[in-house]
Amino acid sequence: MTSFMNRHADSSVMGSLRACLRAATSSSPVATWGLLMILLAVIALLSLLFGAGDVGPGRAWQALSDFDAAAMHDSEAHFVIGELRLPRLGIGLVVGIALGIAGALLQAVTRNPLAEPGLLGVSAGSAFAVTLAILWGADAATLRISVAQLGALGGCLCVLAAARLQGIGNDPVRLILAGAILSGLLHSLSSLILLFDQYTADEIRFWVVGSLAGRDAADLMPLAPSLALAALLTVILARPLAALALGEHVAIGLGHHPRMVRLLVIVVVALLVGGATAIAGPVAFVGLVVPFAARALAGPDIRRTLWFCLPLGPIVVVSADIVSRLVVPPSELPLGVITALIGAPVLIAVVRRRRLPML
Amino acid sequence: MTSLRRFCMTATGIAALSATLPASATTLETAFGSVEVDDDPTRVVTLYTGALDTALTAGMTPLGAVATRGGDGVPSYLNDAAGDISIVGTPRETNIEAVAALKPDLILASPQLPEAQYQLLSRIAPTVVPDVTPYQMASWEQEARVYGKALGRLDAVNEAIGTVDAQAQEIREDVAGSSTASLIRWMPQGAIVMAPQIFSNTLLTRSGFTVDDGDTVKQGRPHSDPLSLENLSRIDNDWLFLATLNAEGDEAYQAAKQSPAFERLDVVQQDHVITVDGQLWTSASGPMAAQAILDDIDTAMREMK
Repeated sequence: MTSFMNRHADSSVMGSLRACLRAATSSSPVATWGLLMILLAVIALLSLLFGAGDVGPGRAWQALSDFDAAAMHDSEAHFVIGELRLPRLGIGLVVGIALGIAGALLQAVTRNPLAEPGLLGVSAGSAFAVTLAILWGADAATLRISVAQLGALGGCLCVLAAARLQGIGNDPVRLILAGAILSGLLHSLSSLILLFDQYTADEIRFWVVGSLAGRDAADLMPLAPSLALAALLTVILARPLAALALGEHVAIGLGHHPRMVRLLVIVVVALLVGGATAIAGPVAFVGLVVPFAARALAGPDIRRTLWFCLPLGPIVVVSADIVSRLVVPPSELPLGVITALIGAPVLIAVVRRRRLPML
Repeated sequence: MTSLRRFCMTATGIAALSATLPASATTLETAFGSVEVDDDPTRVVTLYTGALDTALTAGMTPLGAVATRGGDGVPSYLNDAAGDISIVGTPRETNIEAVAALKPDLILASPQLPEAQYQLLSRIAPTVVPDVTPYQMASWEQEARVYGKALGRLDAVNEAIGTVDAQAQEIREDVAGSSTASLIRWMPQGAIVMAPQIFSNTLLTRSGFTVDDGDTVKQGRPHSDPLSLENLSRIDNDWLFLATLNAEGDEAYQAAKQSPAFERLDVVQQDHVITVDGQLWTSASGPMAAQAILDDIDTAMREMK
């Protein structure tokens, strides 16, 4: 009986969601974008209210309503919100935007809706590079970021080279297979180091599955220059990328340099994914799910897709992070596990469509 | 089911005792039934740190042993005593060929040895697997006595256990009143809390501490999952023992202090954090390990005074 009612409730929830979505897609894209920003604000607020500890939503709300006073009469809530949940929210926003944009760019440049930084071995490459660096004794936070970005670039170039080697660069599944193999190889090498070196193991367990817990907001500062560079390049590249979608000849005719554009996009993807991995570890599937949803709402134009990735990326990452805190108290699940649970069905759904949409 | 099994084993035990035995052999009750061992074994292989520790306590140096968890040799506290010993595998995986090559006349294995492994090993030499429930207050003593008996050196083992008891009693008199304590390993995402029933925590209990895991460890598990930073106050007791694997203790403590959630714990504010060797405190077992752990507790308590 209850299960029936649950199902009934579920289907009505799904129904109203679908109605919302239809209303959203039929109205102007600007309105949809505004709705998404409101949704993001709500989720950001929820992430301050919910956690694995004793500070529940009621207490957190009270502390938030007068945050300065809370420092005096509820220092526990003040600390948990200010020092634990707020930094997590900030990092979640940055990671979500970086991974969402990186996914959209990679999909546009490879003309492949399955191209995801995690699937292509970009995340695995940067995690492996960091693992090696830690094994060899590096532990400065700033070094990690450049190492992670270099690793991401290496992973990216390896896969693209492997997929294009035989001259059949246009097969979407081929690229994914090459990426899966490279990811598998790099993951097993990371695991090998983890098995042999227990000290490294404690440090790099984090680099196998991503997480937002225990990161300091100050860790974001060293990332700022490279993320700013990536943002600038994305703005410059959006127009040539849109032209490239019309075909190489059209793009050349419009005065763009396809090869240059592609190379720069790969560099941007490496900067974004390497940065996100350096701070949160490899968080899988965000780069697949976010552009997928963004295209569904915004249509195929890469410039619009990128705009929609801005709210959608953090929505996915922050809400997955909220779930990760609530499922196994007093512990937490790593964020990467939750995003994989969300992302795997989406991947299967995209692949199972008869014809993969060519971008 | 268990009582039936115990009854059967007692019955076979009595039967074995009443039978006339050759003078040079002892029969032991193990987890896999009666095992007949040589009275004075000379070629011994240990597949468990607790067994290696007990053998060395009793003055017998085994030919081979498994490496400590996460290392490539015996645990560092046994380095001097064990000397040049061959390594025949890791705690998870024994190299059966390496064991056979040493031609042992006795194999001492962990109480948790899987039956399939036992079948292979027992064809090489008599294999002793103590029938002891893990994670109980006296598990390590029961194990040590079984190994001592198998080696024909029970007296030496009993004497060492007596020394441990006396040492714990001495510390108990020093630890005034009821002091609560937790043993953890630290990761940036949070703490892993060790169960009150693991070897080193039973020694803390013996020395007068009340070991408190803040209800974080599930029944029958050696430790918790990484505890959320929001829940660190659960381990905010009078004392915090911080186990580190190969890292320098002080370095690990400073790294943990980087986390504001760790830094604000009362126990950290009072500097009641004691860093200890993780190999000894979270992977070892046996009389020598017990003495080394009690030495650590004793030293720490003296320094804090």
